[in-house]
Amino acid sequence: MISAHGLSRSFDGRPAVEALTFHVPEGKLFALLGPNGAGKTTTVRMLLGLIGPTSGSATVAGHAIGGDPIAARAVRAACGLLTEAPGFYDRLSAWDNLLFFGRLYGMSDALLRTRVTHYLRLMDLWDRRDEAVGGYSKGMKQRLAIIRALFHDPKVVFFDEPTSGLDPEAALAVRDLIVKLKGEGRTIVVCTHNLDEAERLADLVGILKRRLLACDTLERLRAGAGDGARVHIAVRAGAAQHAQRLQGQPFAPHVDVTGETLRVTVGDAAVDTPRVVAALVQGGAEILEVRPETPSLESIYLHTLRGDH
Amino acid sequence: MRVLMLFLQKELKAIGSDKRVWPVYVVFPVLAIGLPTFLATLSPLLIRQGMASHDPGMLQISRLVQTMPGFAAMGPEEGMTRYLLRSVAVLFLLMPVALSSTSAAFSIVGEKQQRTLEPILATPVTDRQFLLGKLIAAGAPTVVMTWVTALVTITVVDVVTHGRYATLLLPDRFWALGILVLAPLLAAAVVLVTMRFSAKATDPQATVQATALVIIPGFLILIAVFGKVLTTYFAALWIGCLIMAVIDLFLFRGSVRTFRREEILTRWK
Repeated sequence: MISAHGLSRSFDGRPAVEALTFHVPEGKLFALLGPNGAGKTTTVRMLLGLIGPTSGSATVAGHAIGGDPIAARAVRAACGLLTEAPGFYDRLSAWDNLLFFGRLYGMSDALLRTRVTHYLRLMDLWDRRDEAVGGYSKGMKQRLAIIRALFHDPKVVFFDEPTSGLDPEAALAVRDLIVKLKGEGRTIVVCTHNLDEAERLADLVGILKRRLLACDTLERLRAGAGDGARVHIAVRAGAAQHAQRLQGQPFAPHVDVTGETLRVTVGDAAVDTPRVVAALVQGGAEILEVRPETPSLESIYLHTLRGDH
Repeated sequence: MRVLMLFLQKELKAIGSDKRVWPVYVVFPVLAIGLPTFLATLSPLLIRQGMASHDPGMLQISRLVQTMPGFAAMGPEEGMTRYLLRSVAVLFLLMPVALSSTSAAFSIVGEKQQRTLEPILATPVTDRQFLLGKLIAAGAPTVVMTWVTALVTITVVDVVTHGRYATLLLPDRFWALGILVLAPLLAAAVVLVTMRFSAKATDPQATVQATALVIIPGFLILIAVFGKVLTTYFAALWIGCLIMAVIDLFLFRGSVRTFRREEILTRWK
């Protein structure tokens, strides 16, 4: 649904993003992570055809971006965008704002009114639809902006910080909505600093810092993170002696001890964990718990960014 | 067409909900109705008195008016009153210029400031539709207001002067062509020039200052310089309309050509 090949963009000769190559299949959620100024917004704007690439190419919803104005319109018609700042006319009501933007998408009034009504109820804004948006809280404006990104039934949705400014309950509702949208087969790109959110939602994760430093499924990123998987093993007693016995074994290149818990680094968790457990049992250890340590997205993200320095 | 009217609808709703701008839309019409009514009511009395007392100044003006095209066959009172009314028709050219420039100043920079520009540009709307929508939104309300004000003025002037002359004083063909054709063309030119400032600006204040200090005075000088010839020779008024239509066309094409989505989106912080 989204394919980018060597997509680059410079401003006044300074590269904002370089050589982005990735593919997001239909119905998948791609989380684009990166520090401020990494090029996330520039990437989204290029994919939406709002700005052209300096080099490279991309197709979104079957239309090539850059150059052809008709294709650019088709891309924009097929996509929804939640901008970083909600952006509404403060003096107009929520209802009038949504009607204005919906008509710009060429929706018929009857369909637009039905959709706006549906989403205003879904986002818990129905009772305040006639109030001027200027009086809305940040979270309410964000929910309104989400409606604007969705009401024309786009195939591809770009969310720039979707839960920014929302209280935990509203953020959960938005995450649920995103999961539902994905379930409906929409392709979703989420730019976020919220790694927990990305970890919960994403099928694919891209870590961007001008270049795409990593781009893969979360499982593959985890598998490739650091110098191996880790396993926590709690024993009843003698953890230090058991650790000494494990040192030097090819399947357990590194062992740390904290109290009566061993933290064993293994090459491949699925293959090496049973070997470690067997070695410990043979050495007389009474094992209370074996728990694989899954690297968090945060640790993968930080590790990837540090590796770029 | 539907897209173009959307911007107008939105603009009208915004004006309707912003009480601060209402006085601007009241002062000009009151002036534009009041001055011709005042002239139509009082000038015959003053002219009659001046002519009766053989006031040299009044006699000189009367002779001057009678040498002008279309006034020779009229009596001095009617000729001078009609001449004065034709002169103040310029007010109806100034009105759309002054009023539309205010909306135009905010047209694009206002969208940037409210952060609504990116959501608009993310829709399938084209640059041409966006700019034409903005042109109509900034220009149409003031043009309609000018026409309504002119209609009220004509009615009031004709009521207060009813039966005094063989024909009604207003509208004459200069008023008709000037208000129906030249006024909208002038408004369009002002809006297009101001919108170009607005698209380049990063601060609404800068556009307002440019409008107040450069654009409006520039158009006022233009109207002052050509006002006399436009209210004297009907052919000159036609030519003025044609020239302004061509200027508008070039300004619009130039606006579309120089409208840079990218620059607006990426340079605005």
